Amino acid sequence: MLLSRHLCAARQGSRDGRCLWKMAVMSEQSSPVEKAVLEVTEVKKAYGPTLALSGVDMNLYPGQVHALMGENGAGKSTLVRILVGATQPSGGAFRLNGERVNFHSVSDAIKAGIVPIYQHLTLFNELSVLENLYSFDTATAGLLPPYLGSAAAETAKASLARVGLSVSLEQKVSTLKLGERQLLEIARGLQRNCAVLLLDEPTAALNAHEADRLLEVIRGLAAEGVAILYISHKSDEIRKVADVVTVLRDGRSVICGAPLKDTSVDELVNAMLGHAFAVVDKQMPVPGEIVLEAKQMVLVPGGAPVSFAVAAGEVLGVIGLVGSGAEEIGQALAGARDILSGSIAIDGQLAHPYSRRDAVRRGVGYVPPDRHEDGLFELHSALSNASASILKTVSKFFFLQRKKEKASFSSRFQALALNPNEPDREIQHFSGGNQQKVLVARNLVITGLRILVLTEPTRGVDVGARDKIHDAIVEATHAGQAVVLITTDLEELTSLAHRTLIVRNGQIVRELPQFSSPDDVALAMLEQE
Amino acid sequence: MADLPRYIGRLRMVPKSLWVLVAQFAVFSLLVPNFFAVSNFENILRVSSILMLASLGQAIVIILAGVEFSVGSAVALCSIVAVFAVQSVSVPMAFASGFVIVLVIGAINGTLIAYAKLPPFLATLAMLMLVHGVASLAVGGLPIEAPVSESFYWMGRGKAFGIPVPILLAAFGLVVHYILLSKTTFGRQIYLVGSNERAAHLSGIAVNRIKFLGYVAAAGFVAVSGLILTSRVASGQPNLIPNLPFETISACAVGGLSLAGGRGSTLQVLVGVLIIAMLNNSIVLLNLPTAFQLAVLGFVIIAAVVFQTTPDRFSFLSMRAAFAQKTKPQGDA
Ligand SMILES: Nc1ncnc2c1ncn2[C@@H]1O[C@H](COP(=O)(O)OP(=O)(O)OP(=O)(O)O)[C@@H](O)[C@H]1O
Ligand SMILES: [Mg+2]
Repeated sequence: MLLSRHLCAARQGSRDGRCLWKMAVMSEQSSPVEKAVLEVTEVKKAYGPTLALSGVDMNLYPGQVHALMGENGAGKSTLVRILVGATQPSGGAFRLNGERVNFHSVSDAIKAGIVPIYQHLTLFNELSVLENLYSFDTATAGLLPPYLGSAAAETAKASLARVGLSVSLEQKVSTLKLGERQLLEIARGLQRNCAVLLLDEPTAALNAHEADRLLEVIRGLAAEGVAILYISHKSDEIRKVADVVTVLRDGRSVICGAPLKDTSVDELVNAMLGHAFAVVDKQMPVPGEIVLEAKQMVLVPGGAPVSFAVAAGEVLGVIGLVGSGAEEIGQALAGARDILSGSIAIDGQLAHPYSRRDAVRRGVGYVPPDRHEDGLFELHSALSNASASILKTVSKFFFLQRKKEKASFSSRFQALALNPNEPDREIQHFSGGNQQKVLVARNLVITGLRILVLTEPTRGVDVGARDKIHDAIVEATHAGQAVVLITTDLEELTSLAHRTLIVRNGQIVRELPQFSSPDDVALAMLEQE
Repeated sequence: MADLPRYIGRLRMVPKSLWVLVAQFAVFSLLVPNFFAVSNFENILRVSSILMLASLGQAIVIILAGVEFSVGSAVALCSIVAVFAVQSVSVPMAFASGFVIVLVIGAINGTLIAYAKLPPFLATLAMLMLVHGVASLAVGGLPIEAPVSESFYWMGRGKAFGIPVPILLAAFGLVVHYILLSKTTFGRQIYLVGSNERAAHLSGIAVNRIKFLGYVAAAGFVAVSGLILTSRVASGQPNLIPNLPFETISACAVGGLSLAGGRGSTLQVLVGVLIIAMLNNSIVLLNLPTAFQLAVLGFVIIAAVVFQTTPDRFSFLSMRAAFAQKTKPQGDA
């Protein structure tokens, strides 16, 4: 065993330079004495001619939080899918408690104590919270469903409390907010007796406060002896929660299980991207004339009216806790939600009627929070996904002009570093972060763009691509577009927004000026009125 | 795996149902007497033209994530209206009125589904019964005969350029269908709406209008199919072709369209229809009882769909990969 780990290190060292060799050796010294629960050696995965994983080594130890990092498309989710038997590897092996295993279905993996929490939610929307919490058990239960009786309800309540989710057990999942669903998904995983918990970007849909709470839960589980694999693009989170880190680049582990305390941020970024990278401060333009104005807008029956305006070249930040109503404001501005009273004006003109289609005609782009349900056409190519809002512009009479369609995106895809840059590949075969890039691209190209309403535009996107999306937003403001940025990413918010509205219970409770610090915003969100 | 020749990549684009069709063709050519003959091929194509055009319509609706059960009733009412018109007015008016009545039924379906938000299954099932009832009442339950007229027979029995007219119409339908789905903006919108209605709406696509127009366009294909059949049987009957909805849905499924919507091509419809047509033809050639036809059809649907929806199990590429994996020396095991 020890020998093979050295070999892994040596192989890495010879290919990728001294620094990685050193790190792998260090990991050897500081690894816990305990035996690994899950050992992954040289795992490979080919999708037709493309290699998604070309050799991954990784060991998970009980009580340890193991971070897995890498660019969009590096192969992180693919690795999770292989570990739980959702797809079969094309090579390599993995061992559970020293024994070679190969799961043929996810339920096998769950039975063996490996519980996945995917990047893409897998709840049953039409069932209740309780039924969802027991859906893993239901799959293998006998005649009676496992969630009957008060004991089951108590266990369910305890799992909800563990992730700090306060919803009723009878509530249908379809009535929950995306952030609440994410927490429920995690609660479902926790409810199982699991030895290994695989978390694929669990905080992507959570705000900073909820994410912190989740990180605490994860630390608690590790203290109980669970081995945890934690995938995230947020390096500050990883520093808070993880002990060791593995970095994938192009489907290969270039850092295997190095202790985080000995690894600098730059080293990690370098390993992920293959080159150094630093975020340059953004130069925001001075806002011009008012473009978009919401007057006394009421969104829910009995709700308080909200009024605000956004100017050309301005980024208006909107933030609130899950369920605060920030997302709904975005929907209304984009024409994706009816307003009960009040009005929306664009360039001084009343926008009425204002369906989503009218909004697109008036040049209003909208990136919705849930890219799978509201954004993607799973069966179609990246290109058809991107061009869905400009079909008229790329058509002549009744006919699509494919060349023009393709040409509209070649530079966009390049600028956003779509990986792989194959516009004709089906969107479902892209990694999560790359799907997000396509969704952003769709809205950046809208004909006569005036306003961009962006909900979590960099959700699940790696550091490099995040910066590229930010560049695209800055570029849009310089072109005179008004941007409404609804995000839970405080860093993103404070680096881009000219002003920030804090929303609570559907009301604007405060407005923060430009250059507020992330801590200011976090405090303002929690403040009592 | 990384350096597969190009052509294998292209072969993956070919619908899997085409392999079923090729295999079926080979087997029938060898085993079924009189199958491999030009006259028989012409016969297959002529007979299948009705199913072909109706299936092209059905395919549009299926790609829109819907289903159309009223095609059989629509064709029956089409025959009755056309025969009434040819009895009392003229042949052109017969064709025109038969065509329009099917379009009207399509528009009603479209309205119920796109604007009144009825589930397609229910809306078209209700229309199946409603239209059938209207058709039966119109003729008092008994077939009505068209007067002898060469020009009325032309559509179903005539020839142009030495080729039977139904075959020409089906070929024309295929071309129009192909252009509509893969070259026009409308076609792209049909796919997007069928794939994810919410996402289509949020992208600014007029989802309701696309759905409505989709049902009307589908009715256009069904109408031509109805007119060919009316002209061939030269009568109007309320029970003209009650199995049509099931046969068209089967043809689409066998061809490889996803009944969940969002996916499917004209080529797949063509292949699906030919598979079913060859099967029916062989049952006749083998002098098997027609009761056989339904049973065999059911079996073929299951077999063809299972073959196509288990992507990797049968594929030579993945078999090779699995083999390579098994025979590879295992590190430190
Ligand atoms: N079903 C599939 N068919 C073909 N290629 C696929 C398929 N699924 C994934 N891929 C490819 O495999 C590679 C790895 O994807 P994966 O989803 O594992 O990335 P990831 O590291 O999770 O990225 P992200 O951070 O964006 O979620 C990508 O290049 C992707 O395009
Ligand atoms: Mg992923």
